[in-house]
Amino acid sequence: MDVICVQLSPGVFTTCGLMSNEARETILGSIRSHLAASVPFDRLEQHAIRPENSVILSNNSDLFELFKQSVESVDGHCVITTDVTDALKQIITDLRPRRIAISDRVHLEGIEAAVAPNAHDMFSFDVGISTAQAAIAETGTLVLDSASERHRLVSLVPPVHIAIISASKIVETLSEALALLQSEGEISPAVTFITGPSRTADIELTLAIGVHGPQELYVIVDQST
Amino acid sequence: MNHLSSETFRENAKAALADTHLRGALKNATSLFGERRKAAAASLPNWEELRTQARAIKDEVLWHLDQYLEEFVSSAEARGAQVHWARDAAEANSIIRTLATERKAHIVVKSKSMTTEETHLNDALEAAGVQVVETDLGEYIIQLAHEPPSHIIAPAIHKTRGQIGALFTAELGMPPTDDVDQLTSTARATLRDRFAAADLGISGVNFAIAETGTIVIVENEGNIRLTTSVPRIHIAVMGIEKVIPRLADLDVFLKLLPRSGTGQRLTTYQSFITGTKRSATDEGPDELHIVLLDNGRSRMLAHPVTRQSLACIRCGACLNACPVYQQVGGHAYGSVYPGPIGAVITPQLMGIEKTAQLPFASSLCGACREVCPVKIDIPRLLLHLRGEISPRKGSMAERLAFKLWALAMTSAALYKLSATAGRLLQRVVPVSRAWTNGRDLRPIESRSFHDLWSDE
Amino acid sequence: MKVALFVTCLVDQMWTSIGVSSVEVLRRVGCEVEFDKRQTCCAQPAYNTGYLDEARKVAQRFISIFEESKANAIISPSGSCTAMVRHYPQLFAGDAEWLPRAQSVARKTHELSSFLVRVLKKEDVGASWNGRLTWHDACHGLRDLGVRSEPRTLIRNVRGAEFVEMDHADACCGFGGTFSVKYPEISVAILDQKIDAIERAGVQAVVSGDASCLMQIGGRLSRQGSKVKVMHLAELLSHT
Repeated sequence: MDVICVQLSPGVFTTCGLMSNEARETILGSIRSHLAASVPFDRLEQHAIRPENSVILSNNSDLFELFKQSVESVDGHCVITTDVTDALKQIITDLRPRRIAISDRVHLEGIEAAVAPNAHDMFSFDVGISTAQAAIAETGTLVLDSASERHRLVSLVPPVHIAIISASKIVETLSEALALLQSEGEISPAVTFITGPSRTADIELTLAIGVHGPQELYVIVDQST
Repeated sequence: MNHLSSETFRENAKAALADTHLRGALKNATSLFGERRKAAAASLPNWEELRTQARAIKDEVLWHLDQYLEEFVSSAEARGAQVHWARDAAEANSIIRTLATERKAHIVVKSKSMTTEETHLNDALEAAGVQVVETDLGEYIIQLAHEPPSHIIAPAIHKTRGQIGALFTAELGMPPTDDVDQLTSTARATLRDRFAAADLGISGVNFAIAETGTIVIVENEGNIRLTTSVPRIHIAVMGIEKVIPRLADLDVFLKLLPRSGTGQRLTTYQSFITGTKRSATDEGPDELHIVLLDNGRSRMLAHPVTRQSLACIRCGACLNACPVYQQVGGHAYGSVYPGPIGAVITPQLMGIEKTAQLPFASSLCGACREVCPVKIDIPRLLLHLRGEISPRKGSMAERLAFKLWALAMTSAALYKLSATAGRLLQRVVPVSRAWTNGRDLRPIESRSFHDLWSDE
Repeated sequence: MKVALFVTCLVDQMWTSIGVSSVEVLRRVGCEVEFDKRQTCCAQPAYNTGYLDEARKVAQRFISIFEESKANAIISPSGSCTAMVRHYPQLFAGDAEWLPRAQSVARKTHELSSFLVRVLKKEDVGASWNGRLTWHDACHGLRDLGVRSEPRTLIRNVRGAEFVEMDHADACCGFGGTFSVKYPEISVAILDQKIDAIERAGVQAVVSGDASCLMQIGGRLSRQGSKVKVMHLAELLSHT
């Protein structure tokens, strides 16, 4: 049974879209009838206790130190500084890239860079620089929100990613970061959490750093803001 | 594709036991996985509580699965996703094949999705003239080798680095090496231009958030991010059981899944994708399609013991802990899902006709239940399935043997003669040879404890 | 304290010294031991192989016999058999007549080491045995009943015994009931990991709480001509 799923506009289906509705009703119907069949058996079962969501409070006063340690523990580089421009220049000087791509929120003085190149061009850049909208100290994670900045590909395709995060945007826990995602209304179309450079252990469980995503990650914590 | 069948599990297992490369690879992998998982779990003082919470969330969702699915679909559609319902594997493949041909997609990049392995999507696409490129390193390796995955999260774990090096030399013309970094960078270089050239990206889904219509996909390599951001169309395939209620619930699962799977605190990337981009000039695909697959899952809702099968978050921890899997590996099971979870969901998804051996391929040790982040009672499930299979598919000899056994055990007089009953069993069911091939057998006592007690 | 001994069909037919030793140990710590001669089996073989109707018949017999006992507790020298009795309520779920009877018998049934240490608070039963030994955690006792520290405590108090913890003491021995003969090659492959660990521990004996594990491990050790002995915890504890 071929199903042609062309959505002409939201809510308007082609005739073949009705097959998709039939599948929907069949599946939902199957779920309902099987759950109903389960009721007599469930009455005899013991249900698990549902405890409250408890939060482990860490006594880590230095959020930035924790963040830096966490980034380094996943093979990322981390610099805490009040002079981002200088830190950036240092890293770039060491890396000596041929072509640099930046997001639309990064300002590079005196260094040539392309702003948010398209997908095809992006593959020929050596370094991508972006900011991050938030970060998580307990895991060393950067939170990138695609609605706030054009950095989806800049942070992914070039083999080196340099990320700038404002110190004030670092939260301690994963659950705080999740809450942030909806803090300004609906969650944006693409949010990415980044923890360290890309890696795999698919061959004999031996760690290899640098697979499809960046091979190196530099994080600059901007304490000036 | 070199698929073994679950019908021949016994023979598959025997062959696996004779394969020294495989056994070495398995020993290495399962012990490393096990140690890393154990250390990661120990690092969280509230680990047990998290398991209980995760299971409670899953139980809640499954008990109201229709409602949560509908909420997910309406949230996702409101954000521009196109949702397709697939009753079975054939329908899912048909939907995706039609989309690919209609959109004139010639090259498809795929990230690892066990659900698409279940439906044999690649075969269906290739039959329609679409080139499918697996981009997860493990999946890429097995695609080159024309083999199915042997582990839920590390598909090529049955191969040694030497075997992978030889494969790359043969298939890619790479100079011979078994250096992991070199092999990895060869794969990276080879696959890079595939991402750029691809018309369509297909991924799986780890969690689907009902509240927001968000799909969440986790990875280490970055191929999922590339698959889901570079091509102009993204198709995400998910089993209907992947729904969780709220974004906040992810906290528990993101704590449990990476630790249980690979011993990591967090995998390198989590992608949270909600609908389509807001404007045509934004980065990312133009279209998002989500395919919801039933394929037998809704049937599992009919009993509390089987319903817990659907709580699985596909971490693979049970495989690594299982003494049977540790010895024979994943291919022997002849199923996309091997190991303990495979032994219980394969018969339920595929029917017991060809999969009847799987629930018996276990010593019921319970190690799987101990490591399962969502506390699935796999031994109980195995027993439940055995209870369905034996009366229907057990051999005549076995069924008769147990009827006689029950007679002997319920009559004092017959029990006294149970040594004789034991000998009868041995004649009908070849017990002793199966035992004595590898082990000595203690002789039956000439005087039973009952006899000795009477002497007192 | 009066206890009813559930000796288990395996011990009754294949390894009576475990039963004899269990009685001795229980008496030594002050228990009066009764033995109902009508007892047969806990129904584990049928239950584990998927023959639930047959399992229920045999379980009903067990329940009928033991619910008549006036003893304070039903004691078994087998973790797996004790776990089976503890699972009786699942076997009789929804059965208005048998469920409460199953629950009541299940509540009273204990594995030997757990009974000695947790209930009687006896950690030293006056045993002595010279040599190096190690403990194998039988799966059901460990994972269904939570028995882990109790046997080790009892063993450490055996005078003259040098207790060595082996690698992966809690790994399955590969027996698994009918699994051992349905999939004998896999069963032996799993067993060989256990044998390797025992050998690495350099002991004279391996002790466990389940006769089935001891048959599995002992059967392979003797086939390989090993000098390592297998012993049930009750046999060790009754040794003086």
